[in-house]
Amino acid sequence: MSEQNNTNDCLMSIEHITKEFKLSDGNVLRACNDICIDIPKGKTTAIVGESGCGKSTLVKTIMGIHEPTSGRVMFHGQDITKLSNKEKRQNYRHIQMVFQDPATAFNPKMKVKDLICEPLRSFGIISKGEVEERAKELLRQVDLPVEFVNRYPHSMSGGQRQRVAIARALALEPEVIVCDEATSALDVSVQDSIIKLLVKLQQEKGITYIFICHDLALVSLFSHKVVVMQKGTVMEQLDGDKLAESTHPYTRDLLNAVFSVH
Amino acid sequence: MLLEINDLDITYGDNTPTVENVKLSLNEGEILTIVGESGSGKTTVIRSILGLLSGDGHVSKGTLNFKGRDLKALSLKEWRELRGKDISMIFQDSGNMLNPVQTIGHQFREYIQLHSDMSDSEADAKAVEILKRMHLPNAENILSSYAFELSGGMRQRVGIAMAITFHPQLLLADEPTSALDVTTQAQIVKELMQVVKESGTAMIMVTHNLGVASYMSDKLMVMAGGRVLEYGNAKDILTNPQSDYTKTLLASVPTIGGKRYV
Repeated sequence: MSEQNNTNDCLMSIEHITKEFKLSDGNVLRACNDICIDIPKGKTTAIVGESGCGKSTLVKTIMGIHEPTSGRVMFHGQDITKLSNKEKRQNYRHIQMVFQDPATAFNPKMKVKDLICEPLRSFGIISKGEVEERAKELLRQVDLPVEFVNRYPHSMSGGQRQRVAIARALALEPEVIVCDEATSALDVSVQDSIIKLLVKLQQEKGITYIFICHDLALVSLFSHKVVVMQKGTVMEQLDGDKLAESTHPYTRDLLNAVFSVH
Repeated sequence: MLLEINDLDITYGDNTPTVENVKLSLNEGEILTIVGESGSGKTTVIRSILGLLSGDGHVSKGTLNFKGRDLKALSLKEWRELRGKDISMIFQDSGNMLNPVQTIGHQFREYIQLHSDMSDSEADAKAVEILKRMHLPNAENILSSYAFELSGGMRQRVGIAMAITFHPQLLLADEPTSALDVTTQAQIVKELMQVVKESGTAMIMVTHNLGVASYMSDKLMVMAGGRVLEYGNAKDILTNPQSDYTKTLLASVPTIGGKRYV
């Protein structure tokens, strides 16, 4: 909760991103409306909001999956929304992603070791003979038994699969990991262990997380910065530990919608 | 006693029982929630009440009594009368339950006429009335829509509306709000509570959201590995958990203002 001195160290800045989609009836849907967010280095930035608020559209823009209508995303002095395909590929070494449902994100015919090391192999960083050893090392980092290298995704639980997804995202030693609802499909106790793992990895490696989530109680526990979005617009940006004190009416609505146990 | 289950074992194939020694009882209007991790047997238990175990699952031991009738002895014809009328079910994503190539209205009318001798126009009027009870605006419009044209929250309201059409005495709900975001979840939970209370329907809900469980339930059952760890008054269990597993589960629930990991 301390370390306030490095929070100004900005790794990526999302500047005035607007994304419009043309609908079949000729109308235009503005999914992201003039979004400006600074992503602090080595910290967790959570983006929260209801379904349809534009969270995923924003992430797809950052990942270069589609081009913004206007605005830019600056990362290491470069606008990463305007990269050529070749540059984009190189950029993925620095930005990796973890998806909501690892069961559908993995090729079911590949073994865990090949899944984890695929990014390393496709960048030609390691040889085929090194795959098993490197996979074991990455499995250790995500607290999975090394014997898992020869398993297939279907023979693991949801939490174990998500750990494999994290191991794969770690393989290239990226600076940024984007987690799109990475724990929403998991049970609470498993969710808790995954969050602890992410926090541990951040402390060890200084990874920057962009964490898309709709569970405010969850993000209030581990994010340094929270961005609240509604209908494509940023409603509020605040420190993670100040979330409960927010006075913004929309943030309050979201907070009040959380059912507490007691 | 509306529902009474004793010494229930459920087995898939010839293996050892997946679920063992389940005992529960439910009065009119009572709400029981079953919590536990994926694979703990929660869904298996509620499916057995509706005689809808998947694959070669069967009740290998114990008794299931609904209003004094032995559910194990029902013929297919008797089941057909019971299901959807006296006992109905809400699924995690009602969109999957609906036929994608028929309008909602077509399916709703078919369902109503299966259990009553209403004319087309009477059935449609009934459907509109029930949809309005679930706070769905433009109910007539919804009847002429297809499932994919509705949002997740709207589809779930349609699923609940169908399930409560005939004022069932017992409503089974399998993760009815897990696929929804927080605000929609809060609305649906409250609406569901209201309709259940109004019509005196008893409910068994499966969820992994302990906050929702705490808000809704009179009784609580905690399951792990196919066994019942705790069963009883919901408030007692939540404030004074006995098993280590329940304690862990409660400790993993993220709360706003809880202990931060960073």
